[in-house]
Amino acid sequence: MPEPDLPVVDERILAELMASTGDDIGFVRELIQTYLADTPLQFDGMSEAVEADDAAALVRPAHTLKSSSETVGAMRLSSIARELEMAGRSGSLDATARTGLDAARAEWLAAAGALDAFLKRRPAE
Amino acid sequence: MTAVGKALVVDDSSVNRLLLVRRLEALGLEVMQAENGVLALELLAANPGAVDVVLLDVLMPELDGYETLAAMKADQSTRHIPVLIVSGVEELDSVVRCIELGASDYLTKPINASILAARINASLAAKRLHDVEVESFERQTALNRTIERQKQELSRFLSPQIAALISSPEGEQLLAGHRREVTVAFCDLRGFTHFAEQAGPEEVMTLLSEYHRLMGEAITEQEGTLEHFAGDGVMVFFNDPIPQEDHVERAVRMAVAMRDRFVELASAWRQRGYELGFGVGIAVGDATLGRIGFEGRHDYGAIGNVTILASRLSSQAQAGQILLSPRAQTMLQGLIESESVGELTLKGLTRPVLASNVVGLR
Repeated sequence: MPEPDLPVVDERILAELMASTGDDIGFVRELIQTYLADTPLQFDGMSEAVEADDAAALVRPAHTLKSSSETVGAMRLSSIARELEMAGRSGSLDATARTGLDAARAEWLAAAGALDAFLKRRPAE
Repeated sequence: MTAVGKALVVDDSSVNRLLLVRRLEALGLEVMQAENGVLALELLAANPGAVDVVLLDVLMPELDGYETLAAMKADQSTRHIPVLIVSGVEELDSVVRCIELGASDYLTKPINASILAARINASLAAKRLHDVEVESFERQTALNRTIERQKQELSRFLSPQIAALISSPEGEQLLAGHRREVTVAFCDLRGFTHFAEQAGPEEVMTLLSEYHRLMGEAITEQEGTLEHFAGDGVMVFFNDPIPQEDHVERAVRMAVAMRDRFVELASAWRQRGYELGFGVGIAVGDATLGRIGFEGRHDYGAIGNVTILASRLSSQAQAGQILLSPRAQTMLQGLIESESVGELTLKGLTRPVLASNVVGLR
């Protein structure tokens, strides 16, 4: 489970992204949209791995989700993805992998909503 | 703005790729991207020499970071490209493995812009240095090939000793002129002028080429310095440019070998109706050696009484004789069988010279 004090989306990270790209909202928007489009693919990969009880196959999509979530500030999802990645690396999946995946889905919906809200608050470029 | 270099980003995460590309472009780089190792290797192969730095993710489908890195390092055309490993903070074990496999450095996610800039600049500098080294090595290799070819050409026209001298560090100094004791041997053919008048030009050239080959072999065996071939006349000296303690002995051994081998050649030509005899004059003395001639056409020559003496003795030698100057004879005492031929009056020399003929080596 993610640490409870982590934000769904850490707006400081989004602010840093803005600052480091010269307040290029167009780019940040593209980055977030890429994340929103790409993440379901990682979930597909993770679901398949858990269904097939294939620990090794869980590592890569969970790893990717961990790092891309961190990039856009989705810290809670990143944290769960990290646990899933470690579960995959341990070599065997138990029931917690399945609950972890369910928790990740819930966090994903929350994060996608928060990111969407962030973009809506910003004026179009 | 022209790109400061070209980077290849290899990462399966489109989010990470997008951000990294953006950051690299902000640093002035042109960026190519690949979503796995297989595509990365294909891009590298399709754009030889184009990529200056590779940013490589470790965990990827198809071909992961380790395999991609290993493949790059195994390929002559990509092994020198700096590779920066992009990894999570928890993956320092894999970073160590990548560095062992030849990665230049690493970056941890999330990427810090200043650290990225520093690592990229270091990698580009290393790549530039490598490129300059390769370029200068190639230029040096081409230059060496040219010099080697010129030396080979030179040694076809000159004595090997002189060809070597010209390309040696002390060459210029020796070419400028120096004085040294040398042994000079002059050889020519008796009856050659008569033969040349009677025979056709092809026959003359054939005989000369057989004769020169024979002479050439004997000269090479004793490491004599061939000054020139002039028709049937051959002038060889010893002890210069390479010092030879036994220079007189070498000259005599060469002359005796020439005389022995000439017998067969002479009998072949006798069958064709030409009577040719071989004679040698050998003298020892100081000469001035170095570059003689004029700008545009120089020879390496020996100038001195010793040259004239050897030449005159050669003219006086009868077929089969090897005539020694008194000094040469003295220096060879105990090493050869010789017989006196008495005092010879030589053209251009005021006093008669007591010469002796080499009967054989002892």
